[in-house]
Amino acid sequence: MKAKDRVKSQDKHILNLAHIVGGARSILYLKEDLVAYDCDGFTIHKHLPKAVVFPKNTQEVAEIVKYCSKNELPFLARGAGTGLSGGAIPLNGEIIISMVRMKKLISVDLENRRAVVEPGFVNLKLTNSISDKGYYYAPDPSSQYCCTIGGNVAENAGGAHCLKYGVTTNHILGLEVVMPNGEIVEIGKDGIPDAPGYDLLGLITGSEGTLGIVTKITVRVLKNPEGKQTVLAYFDRVEDGSQAVSDIISAGIVPAALEMMDKTAIEGVEAAAFPVGHPKDIEAVLLIEVDGIAAGIQEQIDQILEVCRKRNVREVRAAGSEEERARWWANRKTGFGAMGAISPDYLVQDGVIPRSRLPEVLSRINQISSESGLRIANIFHAGDGNLHPLVLFDARIPGESEKALEAGSQCLKVCADVGGTITGEHGVGIEKREEMRFVFTEEEIAAQTDVREVFNPHNLLNAGKLFPSPGRCAEVKKEMKAQAIS
Amino acid sequence: MITAESLSALKTYLREDQIVQSKDSSPFGNSGNMAVFPETEEEIAAVLKYANSNDLTINIMGGGTKRGFGGLTEKADILLSLDKYTGIVEHTPGDMTLTVKAGSRFKDLQDYLAQHNQKISLDPYWPENATIGGIIAANESGPKRLGYGSARDAVIGLRTVYPDGKVIRSGGRVVKNVAGYDMNKLFIGAMGTLGVISEITLKLRPVPKCESLVLVSFPKGNLEKIKAFGVKVLDSMIEPVSLELLNPALSDKLAGINTYTIAMSLEDVESSVRYQEEFVRNMMPGDAELLIYPKDKADLFWDRFYTHTPNGLDRELPIQTEGSIKIGTINLEAVSVLKDTELLQDRFNVKIESHGGLGHGLSQVTIRGAESDVANATAHVRDIAEKTGGYAVVTHLPFELRKKFDVWGNKPSYFFLLQGIKAKVDPNKTLSPNRFIGGI
Repeated sequence: MKAKDRVKSQDKHILNLAHIVGGARSILYLKEDLVAYDCDGFTIHKHLPKAVVFPKNTQEVAEIVKYCSKNELPFLARGAGTGLSGGAIPLNGEIIISMVRMKKLISVDLENRRAVVEPGFVNLKLTNSISDKGYYYAPDPSSQYCCTIGGNVAENAGGAHCLKYGVTTNHILGLEVVMPNGEIVEIGKDGIPDAPGYDLLGLITGSEGTLGIVTKITVRVLKNPEGKQTVLAYFDRVEDGSQAVSDIISAGIVPAALEMMDKTAIEGVEAAAFPVGHPKDIEAVLLIEVDGIAAGIQEQIDQILEVCRKRNVREVRAAGSEEERARWWANRKTGFGAMGAISPDYLVQDGVIPRSRLPEVLSRINQISSESGLRIANIFHAGDGNLHPLVLFDARIPGESEKALEAGSQCLKVCADVGGTITGEHGVGIEKREEMRFVFTEEEIAAQTDVREVFNPHNLLNAGKLFPSPGRCAEVKKEMKAQAIS
Repeated sequence: MITAESLSALKTYLREDQIVQSKDSSPFGNSGNMAVFPETEEEIAAVLKYANSNDLTINIMGGGTKRGFGGLTEKADILLSLDKYTGIVEHTPGDMTLTVKAGSRFKDLQDYLAQHNQKISLDPYWPENATIGGIIAANESGPKRLGYGSARDAVIGLRTVYPDGKVIRSGGRVVKNVAGYDMNKLFIGAMGTLGVISEITLKLRPVPKCESLVLVSFPKGNLEKIKAFGVKVLDSMIEPVSLELLNPALSDKLAGINTYTIAMSLEDVESSVRYQEEFVRNMMPGDAELLIYPKDKADLFWDRFYTHTPNGLDRELPIQTEGSIKIGTINLEAVSVLKDTELLQDRFNVKIESHGGLGHGLSQVTIRGAESDVANATAHVRDIAEKTGGYAVVTHLPFELRKKFDVWGNKPSYFFLLQGIKAKVDPNKTLSPNRFIGGI
């Protein structure tokens, strides 16, 4: 064995895991290396993993999982680590199984509109690999240039264009999964729809890595729409902007995207890297995109312009060029990061509301803002009701981080109270475990943990995520038992 | 066994007229020794809870169109009918969401929504009889699945009554939701083996401003050419909502054209629909024939389409035995499924009507003939499906034939997971015993 392949550790688990993945180049176990894996895109909780292993194929994943299971070592899978709710944080000192070396595009079958990828394959690369043939992969989370499709499956990721085309679960046709006992199962063979039996594809997608480890994914790919046009509209009153959104939808138009930003958000994006000259004194900007058969686009654009005018729009216009359209989108898509230009720190929330309740929700969020003394910007996937309140704060001021977390949680409470939910695309992870109680009863949470027990009976796979703890007496007992064992 | 004691116990939850003791009999089974008609969710929960703790079994029925779909229990102790559990709970036109009680008839809902220029984007068989609950529980979809997706794309929230009487909500009333496990998916297509779906929240679509039906028929019946045409359509920029191949018998029944025909529904603004019609006219092969139906004529076509399959609601068996089979394959294999099943007609002296979606890979084959011939042909349909790597599930067959033929086919390798879920949710096997795959 070459020196660089030798593992310099006395820990038998490290040595055995290294053996499975083929040596030192496929495992990290020194503290200085592990620090990079102590959190994901949610940086408030941190914990070091015991080790990080980099399997090359499904068999290695299965062997790692079998080893961990046999030795009662907690473990979890990780993609690019862009998750915003802490789903990949090793709370219990897990063995992290990094999927980044399983990054092949296995096959593309455009005639049957499907592609097979390994979980570490980056989202945007799929579209880039097939765009010359006129096809694309629809789910487009803002992190798509670096996030992996395996991670997208775990989180059931969304994106700006899911209003018309749906989120990840609507595009997954098949999965190969390593179960928490190491068994490999194939669900949705060859991407054939409606396999007889309960819909495990749908259940596993969005289970935040707590039911199994996905090692192969069959996705649906779509033909590029022939035409596309984007409209920008400025409103002096949020109510008018919000009503315009409802009117567009009620007019029978299904836009590909329908985005809104409020005054504070506009201040942020205009101060950041991609300003487009939005007026500073308006209360809402709408970005509306329509796609489809080119011959039918203008008819819909005319109707959108008319709806906006009826709702007292200050200014409304369609993009004059592809370049202008791209600038509008760059301004919007970098919206979260742009808050850094007007605040040292910010916290992203991810509530969903019935879109007709927007004016009421925004006024309640304003109230939370004034009570907490923290500014809150709102970026809104208005078409599907997914609201991202961005709580602006300064972590250097003692107590302000806690205040921001509290304000974020209150925003989610408002969303839940109007009949909405606590997360539309970022997942529950660690961050929103307690907020699960805003939307589910103890019994409903127990119904979900019952399902987890079928797949993950010893709860070694990604424990402590998704559900509030202690959820109920039985959960407490189980945890106590687990502690007694370790 | 229903005893006098259990009957009087049920009467504490239900009025006399909600309990029917006359033996409900159907040649399709999935019946009960007595029938109950709850009108509230509390009543559903009370019946389930009572049955679950007293070793009684329950079959669930909506409109009854799927009584011939799965199931080896001719009569459970109780038949729970959702016939009286109907109505709209909430419709918010601005949010394009609808919450309804499970026993609501599909067509009633569509008629109501049409007043708001909205619709549920599903297209099941027998819309006048079928209930939304049954459609969701059986995960039924039609040709327009290509453009609009299936139940798993349309359902955003459910209330499900568990066998022990708990009501479990899943999803919600918003169109985007990743809080917790996506439990909706578990109940869609579960054939009532996990709980009674009592309330359903759906994401709606606008009624298209313009609609037409393009029928491209192929008198020479060359299936390679038909497939090539399908591939060309799928690779083009047009966006048909259906791309459904009909066999000659079905095409004849629906449109009077006795050749293989592709039915493309175009639904968009008018300029787009007209443009797509012209596009098809210009791209189709020279020996193909084109018919374009405007909306009213298209509606009649689709009405005939959605009622061409056998209906489990029938009280008596027709003279000829009927069977219907859903086949799942890789999308374009639908062509070879139709081609190969066509040959069974002469071989077994049966009549076959079939259709398959070139863009979604689901086909439906309906067989009519003498009982033994239908049974033999059905077995061969499964062979044909499995040869392509797909599956075949029999969605309609008389009870007696279902006893002899495993309508679900082989269990998947992960069957232990399905069994595990059933055991957690319904450990006493109270609900729909033996209705589903592998005896679940």
